[in-house]
This record gives sequence, structure tokens and C-alpha cells, in this order.
Amino acid sequence: MMSLLEASLVIARRDFIASVFSRTFILFLIAPMILFGFAYFFGSIADAQNRVDEQPTIAVVADSATADAYRQARQRLVAGTSEQSFPILRTIQPAERIAVQAQALLADENGGYSAVLSGTIDRPVLTGPTKADGYVARRVQLLVDDARRTAALRTANAAPAAVAIERVITEQAAGNLQMNRRSLAKGGVALIFTITMLLATLLLSTLVEEKTNKVLEVLTAAVPLDAVFFGKLLAMLGISLVGLALWGGAIALGYTFIQALQDWVALPAVSPAIGWPIWLALLIIYFTTNFMLLGALFLGIGAQATTIREIQTITMPVTLLQLMVLLLAISAISGDGALVWTAYLVPFSSPLAMVAHAARYESLWPHLLALAWQAMWVVLIIRLSSRLFRRTVMKSSPTDSFFSLSFWRARPS
Amino acid sequence: MQGNLAIEANGLVKSFDGKRAVNGIDLAVPEGSIYGILGPNGAGKTTTLRMLLGIIEPDAGRRLLLGHERPLEAAKIVGYLPEERGLYPAMATREAIAFMGALRGLPLEVGRKRAAILLEQNGLADYVDKPIKSLSKGMAQTIQLFGTIVHQPKLVVLDEPFSGLDAINQGRLEHLIRDEAAAGTTVIFSTHVIHHAERLCERVAIIARGEIRFEGLVSDARDRLRPHVRLKARNTEGPWRKMLPGDAREVAGFWQFELPKGGIEPMLKALIDGGAGIEELSIERPGLHDAFVAIAGETAAREMEASAQADLGQAA
Repeated sequence: MMSLLEASLVIARRDFIASVFSRTFILFLIAPMILFGFAYFFGSIADAQNRVDEQPTIAVVADSATADAYRQARQRLVAGTSEQSFPILRTIQPAERIAVQAQALLADENGGYSAVLSGTIDRPVLTGPTKADGYVARRVQLLVDDARRTAALRTANAAPAAVAIERVITEQAAGNLQMNRRSLAKGGVALIFTITMLLATLLLSTLVEEKTNKVLEVLTAAVPLDAVFFGKLLAMLGISLVGLALWGGAIALGYTFIQALQDWVALPAVSPAIGWPIWLALLIIYFTTNFMLLGALFLGIGAQATTIREIQTITMPVTLLQLMVLLLAISAISGDGALVWTAYLVPFSSPLAMVAHAARYESLWPHLLALAWQAMWVVLIIRLSSRLFRRTVMKSSPTDSFFSLSFWRARPS
Repeated sequence: MQGNLAIEANGLVKSFDGKRAVNGIDLAVPEGSIYGILGPNGAGKTTTLRMLLGIIEPDAGRRLLLGHERPLEAAKIVGYLPEERGLYPAMATREAIAFMGALRGLPLEVGRKRAAILLEQNGLADYVDKPIKSLSKGMAQTIQLFGTIVHQPKLVVLDEPFSGLDAINQGRLEHLIRDEAAAGTTVIFSTHVIHHAERLCERVAIIARGEIRFEGLVSDARDRLRPHVRLKARNTEGPWRKMLPGDAREVAGFWQFELPKGGIEPMLKALIDGGAGIEELSIERPGLHDAFVAIAGETAAREMEASAQADLGQAA
């Protein structure tokens, strides 16, 4: 009998060649770019839209001198912060009964006012719902204060000239570094998650292929079922590494190009706590374990089904659970305590959480523990999947219990 | 039984969803023989073969495949053609054959060379690099058969190998099975077409409703029935009529009856003396079909014929 590894490699080789020379592989290569491209494009649009939508507008019901004072105060404050930091001010000529006018303005859906600022600089009145008290009221307070202070200084002829701050440029600041590393951690998690999900789908399609071509019986008569499962996982891993090499090459080329233009483009100084070489190696290793874990689970679940429709139905809840796992891993980047430990220990979030850990902390030993933990789960899930496959699809049920040791033992039939 | 056994099975039992598909099957397949498992669809032939190969585990019983209790341990020297043929449609024929060999431990390069030779020997050299999807069904089935034997196994297991094949491909397959056996390979196949088994096999197992009804030499199966005598007499009436045995029936001008226990000679003398005027006389040995009807019963025989008819429809 061939060894498990030999048999797995025969299966893996076939699947690898069949997949790499298929149209699906081209789709696999460009899918993440399309995905990230779309996410960036629509994200930017949505972000810009959100900024406009979320920025409140205040009706300033005042004479032109007062309105001008507020407008200039806003300009000064915005110059030091950002345009989005202060509400938009719209000047409205005062009517006879300002209280009635304010109510009418707040009721006007076309105007879309969040509050009405009336009165004078020394006795301002802000009319609006209590919800406006937090964000709007605090900013209006700043606007009024600035307007009053400027007017007072102007009256006293004591307006100080602006001072230029002398800059001392340093390589890093711990605060910035932490922020950048958190971003890097999120990027790593997102990358691993996206590619794994794409591959798991590709993996299922090869299983469907075996089922529809009825090759499975030929395979299972010749090699252990574990080898069929493991071979498929190896093939997909090989495919993903080819994909990563291609994407990595493209990114390296792009980076080199940008570096050549660095006089014009400033790259952010980001470096993972563990160092780039080890982090990149860990990124690939954690991607491998994550794919093996999820792939084995998908294979096990997919193997229970007999049609593509059944496979889609069964894998849907797993995909949703995987999204929850992603949220857990992302939350753990900024969280602490039980949340972080949960992310490290849950097998399916562990690779994601640990790649984020590597971006933020320099110690190496937790990774050795995590990899051993994840490897154990890979073996358990592959074994469980192939046992379940025998029970349900091949209708061959070992009499030993799910909880007994013999259930998990290799069974070369 | 003389010599070593390629397959030995005792008391194999398998149930699906509480329904017993195979009920205590015993088999003994001598090395180097051509062995047939006969039975209608649903008799338990495929389940038996799958249990022998370890594709499914028996609920009870024991099997030895080329001396191995765990069939996969003998995988390198076993070839298997399942009832549901399975090939990757996009694969080239040579690659498909080599891949099936590789699954059984044959190096790919050797597999490719042997595949090319097999294709050439069978007049299919033009199809070496053609994808499976471009082949006819019969041709694809032939390719899978080549994949089953490319690693030169000691035991070849074929599940309904003639099913879906036209007459030409059936002839080619019979030829191939004989060649394999001549080279010392044990061939075991299941079928519901009796004449394939009759032409090819030394030994058969007759299965009906998950149970073995007969296991042994084809000649022993046929010997369970007495030979038939066919007689044509010139005279229609006369004292000779009283000499005919009780089971004699007249069919299309011929009298047919079982050969009497005392042999043909005393009866022949009595018929001549009784004035029969014998025009024709023949003693016919019963065929495997007759033996099957006698062993498995009329119902099983009708089911076999229905399965064979369905096959003919498929091949057409």
C-alpha cells in the first residue's frame, strides 16, 4: 500500500494541474483584486457620501454681522481640524417671531436643519432636539466662544499674530506605530480570510466534480479516504501559494515602482512588531493552517451532500459562522481579556488572531503553541470529515462510537 | 479446493437503513481463475464487491484479498472497474490511464508508456491525447478498463463490465479478460448476462436477494440438472409411447425429457423395439441459464433477463 503522503500527493497533483490549467484559476487570481477594488471604490463613495450625510446643518438666524462672526470663527476652527469637524452653517434672515421661525425651520424637511442658532453673540440661543446637545451643542459652544474671544481681542486691539511651530522630525512615535500595526494586523486578517474563503469554494467545486464524474469510487478503492481529503487540501494549498506568489510578485513590482517615485509619494512607515521577514512567513503559515482548517471543514460538510444545491445549503451556515469568526478576530485586535483569548483559542479564529498578534507583539513563542494547537485541529477535522463521509456517502458505518478512540484511528480498510 | 485463493470471504453481511442487502455471503476465488458473480440487479453483487475491496465495511464477516485482511494493503496489485464508470472529462486518455495506475502506485512515466502501448494494441493510438469528453461512451469505458489493468495487477475486479457496451466492445472485453487470465491474473466480475459468465468463467457464484444460492464450478452448476434428450420419431402412435418417461413433452415435433437414470441405451432399445422409428436423437447438456433457473428460481431468472434487456437498451 502507498503511504498516506504518497497517495495524497497523487490526488493533489491531479487536482493541482486540473485547477491551475482551468479558467476557474484565472478567476481565482483576479477575484481578490476585483473584490478589493470594488470594496475600495464603493467604500470611498460611501465614505464620502456618509460624510456629507452625517454632517449636521445649523440654521443661523441672526443679523449679517453676527452671522459673519460665526462664519469666520468656523473658518478658523476648520483650518486647524477638518471641514467635517464642525456643522455647516446656513444664514437665515430673522423673522418677527424668532421662536416660531425656529420651529418652522426645524420642521422643514427640505432644509434638513439639526438645530437653530439665534440670539446674539453674547446671548446665543440654540433651539433643537436633545439629541443635538451632544455633538451640535458642544461645537456651537466652541464657535460662539471663538467668535466672542476674537471680537473681544479685536476690541482691545490685542490680537496676537500666528506663531510658526518649529518641527523636529523623528522616525517613529509609539502612538503612531501602534496605530499602524493595528492597521497592518487588520490587513493581514482580511487578506487571509478573503483568500481562504475563495479557496474553500474552489475546493468544494473539485469535490462536486468527483461526485458528478463518479470518480470517487475509483479513488476510494485505491487509496485511503483520508488521502483523498488530504490530497485535495494540498492541491488547493499549492494553488493558493502559486496565487500568493503571483500576487506577491505584482505587489513587489508595484512597491518598487512607488519607491522609485518616493520623492512624490510618501509611504507610511509601517513595520510589524515581530519584523517583516518573520511576519510574512507567519502570514503564509497561518494562511496555511487557516485554509487547512476551513478547507477540511468544508470538505467534510460538502461530502455529506449529493448535489450542488445541497452543498450550497449546507455550507451557508458555515460561511455565516466564518464571518462571525472574522468579526471576532478583528474585534480582538483592539479588545482585551476574554475576547482576545477566545479569538486565540477558537480553532477557526486562531490563525487570524495570531497573525494580528504577530503584527502587534514581538514574542515568537506564542506562535509555536498556536501552530501546534491549530495543527491538532486540522488532523481532527480531516479525520472526522472522512469518517462522516464513510458513514453517510459510502454508507459504510463503523460500529465504534464517535466518542471512542477507535473512531479517530486511521482505518486503511 | 486446490491451490491458493485470491479472494476468500466468509459470512459477509451488510445492511443499509435497516434493510439487509447482503446476508452471509461466502466466496472462494482461486488464483488465476476467471470467476463470475451472477445475479439480477439488486441481488447484492456490487455491495459484495465493494466489501471485498474495502470500499465499504461489512457489518459482519471476514474477507481476505490476496492474503490481506485489509483490502487497501493489496491496492497496488488489485485493479477495480466500478459499476458507475468515473473519469475526469478534461483529462487526456493517456493521462487518465496513467493517473489510475498512479493511484495504485505505478510511477506516472511508466503509466504513460504502458497507456500508449495499450491504446496502440487496441487500435486506439489516435486517441492518446484526446480528452475523455471527446470519446464515445463505449470507448471511455474501454479507457477506464485500461486504467484498471495498467499497473498489471494480480487481481482484477470488474463490476458489470459488459453493461452498456455494444457487441464489438463486449467481444473486445471478453478477449481482454481471457488475455489477463492467460497471464496469470485472477479476474472476478459481476454480471446479469449469463452467457458472458458461461463463456468466460470456470467458477461462478449465483446470488439472489443477498444470498449465495450456488458457489462452485460452472460444470457443477450445470451438472445439477440431468441432460435432456430430444427425440424425433417417424411413427406417431404405437407401443413405444408407453416407453417414454413421465416427464416427456412434445415440443415442435420433438419429444423432450430428462436423460433416464439408467442411461440412454436401455430406453433406446425399448423405443426401437416398440416401433418408434427414430429419425433424430440428441442428448443435450443443460446450459448455465437452465442451471440458474433451477438454482435461483424463475423470479430471479426473469429479473436477470429484465436487467439484461435494460442493458441492451443502454448500449443501443
